[in-house]
Amino acid sequence: MTETTATETTAPETTAPVAHTSPAAGGAASAGYGLSAVGLLRSEWIKLRSVRSTAWSYALLVLVSLALAAVMSSTLDLQGADASMIPAADQATFIAQTATFGVFFGQLIVAVLGALTISGEYSTGMIRSTLTAVPRRLPALAAKAAVLFGTTFLVGLAANLGSYLVASLILSRQGLGVSIADPAVFLPVLGGALYLALIAVFALGVGTIVRSGAGGIAVVLGIVLLLPMVLQVIAAPWAAAVLPYLVSNAGINMFGLMSFSQVPIEWWVNLLVVLGWLAVSLVGAAAVLKRRDA
Amino acid sequence: MIQAQSLTKRHGDKTAVDAIDFTVQPGTVTGLLGPNGAGKSTIMRMIVGLDRPTAGSVTVNGKHYREHRAPLCEVGVLLDAKAVHTGRSARNHLLALAATHGIPAARVDEVIELTGLGSVARKRVGGFSLGMGQRLGIAAALLGDPSVLILDEPVNGLDPEGVQWVRQLMRRLAAEGRTVLLSSHMMSEMALTADHLIMLGRGKVIANAPVSEIIGMAGTHRVRVRTPQAAQLAALLAQPDVTVTTDEPDLLKVSGISAGDIGEHAAGAGIVLHELTGVSASLEEAYLALTQDEVEYRASGSAQLQEAGR
Repeated sequence: MTETTATETTAPETTAPVAHTSPAAGGAASAGYGLSAVGLLRSEWIKLRSVRSTAWSYALLVLVSLALAAVMSSTLDLQGADASMIPAADQATFIAQTATFGVFFGQLIVAVLGALTISGEYSTGMIRSTLTAVPRRLPALAAKAAVLFGTTFLVGLAANLGSYLVASLILSRQGLGVSIADPAVFLPVLGGALYLALIAVFALGVGTIVRSGAGGIAVVLGIVLLLPMVLQVIAAPWAAAVLPYLVSNAGINMFGLMSFSQVPIEWWVNLLVVLGWLAVSLVGAAAVLKRRDA
Repeated sequence: MIQAQSLTKRHGDKTAVDAIDFTVQPGTVTGLLGPNGAGKSTIMRMIVGLDRPTAGSVTVNGKHYREHRAPLCEVGVLLDAKAVHTGRSARNHLLALAATHGIPAARVDEVIELTGLGSVARKRVGGFSLGMGQRLGIAAALLGDPSVLILDEPVNGLDPEGVQWVRQLMRRLAAEGRTVLLSSHMMSEMALTADHLIMLGRGKVIANAPVSEIIGMAGTHRVRVRTPQAAQLAALLAQPDVTVTTDEPDLLKVSGISAGDIGEHAAGAGIVLHELTGVSASLEEAYLALTQDEVEYRASGSAQLQEAGR
């Protein structure tokens, strides 16, 4: 063999039995194997953890969050003011903003990861294996979305909690400090993680519709990153009116990091806006996945 | 068992598969044969629901593929080597597929051993040779211990040892009572492996019969004659229904007359013969004869080539 692989394959023992149950037709099927929700979730979890891009993306998410929290909290200048003079509510807001600042960048990282989760299957041909194993197709997409959502939420939560700890540690030297139990802190920390998980699944839907890795990433980043910038530049009133309802603006407004509207928008309205974008993406993905030849 | 009824696939105006009917029986190796664009891969993809038929239907063991509770345990399919994420190890690829059906890791290790991938199972698939990729595809197909196997060009990229291994595997799977459907461009491979052939041309079934019968359809038996007096013998044999061709100075290929008659003619004229062998048509010739009118892209391009070759 002239293959690049280092190891030489030897011809396997051809007299070994192929069947591990009975050689009769449908032997394994009668052994109780079959598609199940738990099985699909496990399969998608194996897939997610067994490609390098996942570990890289999540590690980057955590590192960027911690680094930003460290930079933001260590550059805080009280200009000689006594920390005890600052109202607790303002302290909580500042710490919450510091703990969730990484979400700004994190949303781009998980958006790329979400798009790659499915477009990687299309570009490599893996999708044919996936859809052959799950010929009804939609359960495979649902399992993929669920696993991506859960994993991203947990990693996002870890990143935000870590950022809170880093910020608290650095700010305590200036006498600032708010407990994680304060709703003004833990709600944004949870909300930031929730938004990251939702944007990852949104990107998964877009990736399913677009199918190509580069295309999926371009479309998702266009919606998350470029659209808000472009609309901000446009002076027309309609642009200002639309701005708060862009997925990334609503998502970031949701945990109070930044507002894009003259009038405050309730967190649940922002959540509904994000869920609306998500629904459009997933419904489109489901329709396309079901109909198109793979 | 695989059953297709009026199975049709159109892409726009182009008909890839044209209302075909066929049944693939268990216990045999059935070959799907045809020129490029004849619809072989499209048929295979429709069987496992990757492509949706425009009309008609195809069932596996009595049901549409997607309606089976454990599809991987009904049908094992190798569509092409490129159905694997290149960034994942072979073992993780198989584990992910197995997990969907609750198939245990022990079975994954079993098919890894069976396909000879043991030493590379934990390496990323991106570095695999074509042959390794084929072995992994076959491992995936065997994962659910299915009663039906569908393999598109399974020996593609395999070394001679691998080719022989696949051939024996196909035979054994069929002997175990399974339904085996494979496609190949390699006619000699089909002749060695398949019991039954479904020949396709322009999306239609042009022959559906045992291999021996298909070879018989090509009809013409020829006789190889080796003689130092080739020109003299050729002149002697010149009759309206006899054709004589020659590739080498002392070798004639004769059809339309029996070996015995050639021997008589030669003896009568005192011509020395070094060889006189009856040759039955090869599967390749049968295939070419049957698909002569069916080759899709026999357009002006190849006609010009033939002209140029003269």
